[in-house]
Amino acid sequence: MTLARSADSRLVGNRVLLTLLIAAVASSVLLPFASLSPNRLSSGQPMMLWQALPEWQLTALALIGLALLAATLARPLPRRTSLWLSLIATLSLLGLDFFALGEYAHRALVDASPAARVSQGATFWILLFVSALIAIDALQRLRLGLVKRALFGAAVLAVIGACFSGDLLSPLSIMREFANQKANFVDQLIRHLMLVAGALIPALAIGLPLGLLVNRRDGLRNGLFSMLNVFQTLPSIAVFGLLIAPLSALGRAVPWLGDLGVSGIGVAPAIIALVLYSLLPIVRNTYSGLAGVSAGTLEAARGMGMTPRQILWQVEIPLALPVILSGLRIVTVQAIGLVVVAALIGAGGFGAFIFQGLGQYAIDLVLLGAIPTIVLAVIADFALQILVTLSRPPGTR
Amino acid sequence: MIELQGLTKTYAGKNVVDDVSLTLDTGEFGVLIGPSGCGKSTTLKMINRLVPLSGGRIILNGDDVTELPAEQLRRRIGYAIQSTGLFPHWSVAQNIATVPQLLKWPKSRIDDRVDELMAMFHLDPTEFRHKYPHQLSGGQAQRVGVARALAADPEVLLMDEPFGAVDPLTREVLQAEMRRVHRQTGKTIVFVTHDMDEALQLATRIALLNGGKLVQYDRPIELMVKPDNDFVREFIGQADLGLKLLSRRWVHQYQREPSFEHHATLKGLDHCWQLDDAGRPIALEGARLDDDHQVTEVKPEWTATPEMSMKEALSRMVWYRVMVLPVVDDAGKLIAEIGMQGIMGIEAESGLSAGNPAS
Repeated sequence: MTLARSADSRLVGNRVLLTLLIAAVASSVLLPFASLSPNRLSSGQPMMLWQALPEWQLTALALIGLALLAATLARPLPRRTSLWLSLIATLSLLGLDFFALGEYAHRALVDASPAARVSQGATFWILLFVSALIAIDALQRLRLGLVKRALFGAAVLAVIGACFSGDLLSPLSIMREFANQKANFVDQLIRHLMLVAGALIPALAIGLPLGLLVNRRDGLRNGLFSMLNVFQTLPSIAVFGLLIAPLSALGRAVPWLGDLGVSGIGVAPAIIALVLYSLLPIVRNTYSGLAGVSAGTLEAARGMGMTPRQILWQVEIPLALPVILSGLRIVTVQAIGLVVVAALIGAGGFGAFIFQGLGQYAIDLVLLGAIPTIVLAVIADFALQILVTLSRPPGTR
Repeated sequence: MIELQGLTKTYAGKNVVDDVSLTLDTGEFGVLIGPSGCGKSTTLKMINRLVPLSGGRIILNGDDVTELPAEQLRRRIGYAIQSTGLFPHWSVAQNIATVPQLLKWPKSRIDDRVDELMAMFHLDPTEFRHKYPHQLSGGQAQRVGVARALAADPEVLLMDEPFGAVDPLTREVLQAEMRRVHRQTGKTIVFVTHDMDEALQLATRIALLNGGKLVQYDRPIELMVKPDNDFVREFIGQADLGLKLLSRRWVHQYQREPSFEHHATLKGLDHCWQLDDAGRPIALEGARLDDDHQVTEVKPEWTATPEMSMKEALSRMVWYRVMVLPVVDDAGKLIAEIGMQGIMGIEAESGLSAGNPAS
């Protein structure tokens, strides 16, 4: 009885949402939404939300805030309705965030000098992350199926795509940097992806058989795992540094390797380091995926007359696949991030923009490297998550 | 036919199976039983060579099992285990088809066989074919496991505590089904359990093992009435030996003509059955503990069938407080009756002479 009463009298139904909402409101009041600066390098003048946005956008923002507030309450809305409401509100918030920034930039630059720049401020980012977190929280609470989750993901991409498709955002400083670097950007994107693929393919080729081996030979397990653990703990910059001397010596000593591009800096040490970092998660997940196949299943497979090869390919690998792919997901996201650091030793990729921007004190050039890296990581994570789900036995998804 | 000749398994210098010899004829239901660690499972697994032999021989229908390639041997032998070992990523139909697939049967033959087996285990193919193991109840999963073991029509079926992990109610249903399947297919079965009631329910031959040694190998009733030594006597348990004996007796051995008029002078026959037009019993006059001439409505819960064990029939009499049960056929028609006095009377005379109904 008391339990039922306390549940009835509860005012807030979703505390996560309430916390995020408070954070969004606080930042909207305290932190700038955008900044206007006379040129690329000087720091700008902060513009608060109410200074930057026209009245109708502020009204829309307030309405979205009210909808989210209603969604936090335990009553009168039913739980699932609240969650759907917060999903729709968050999608509108995302669109409005981008639209308001772009539209403000257009207005602000009409009678400014050509060198003037508009950059996004803290509130823009906080609203962006808050909408992402609200959406993730609501999607988890709703326990939607794969198809509905993918549809929502597509809707988010559509909103973002619509904002980027026209020239809505083109006056923004970061988009101008992009326009300056357009050809280079595509090159670095391809280079970034090639480096990730170049690391993952050998890592899988070595890691999968090693995982199988430690699954079969218990004696090897501790030794191999502690060795791979050591690689994992080494700082990436230190590994790049350590590889310079031996690799440049190797490139000089064996001319055909040198012709292939093996040298102290560049792609070769980057890929070697990335492979070393990727091995532990791949080996560990392959091992635990195989170890997770129940003893009863294996005994039945043997008892029915399957050969060891048939057991491996028809039973063990399909059952271990979700865990193996989770390992691949970890190393893919990790490699996308680590490739940024590899730009320090001249391997290229989005890291090149970041370090170039740092050198020039051009924060928007840094962001031109950082944001695509994050987007790549998120997309890879999402795609591999879908693959993991698909690899589970039907019905358990 | 399976012959174990001086079968021995040694682990780290210790004989976990020690010189076990026994012969199980084709069509027999052999149960290996004993306390945990007695070597019963190890013995079973040596038959399909999941455990390699340390000594002795196993002859399966004339072939020494160690002379055949292991995979080929195992495809001739059905194998069902406690955890079912169903492949979680395959549907029910794919699971059942495992061995026929390995033997490369044509697809149409596999499909027919899967349907046939699902029907045998009362699993509706349209409902269950495409289900996955985790969508099944424990009893259904175990049925699929046994169906899979029988799929390629093996010469022998090995079962390692298959009903050990299901609830008691389901276990009884599965045991009854196993008896029926054994009757229908005439398969030679080797079954491991530690549950004496289960062994008495199912077996035509029981091998009692202790410490790796074969203690007694006999028909169930002989094991109960002529135990070789105290260990056997203790393992069977003396407290409910009478009930255990009744679990090996069947209603059709004890039934008598139904009584249609009161015989006040004949003890135990002062009752009569009322039938409907179709010959089904609707009421019983008399034969109640409390009031001899009360009319009791016949309910399906306390009718008996000829295949029911006497233990169950007795249990129904006690629970529903009636002295006689109607024995009905599949259509529900009264064909005989079974009475409390009858149990005691015939039981006292029959002794060992009552045959083994399952063989």
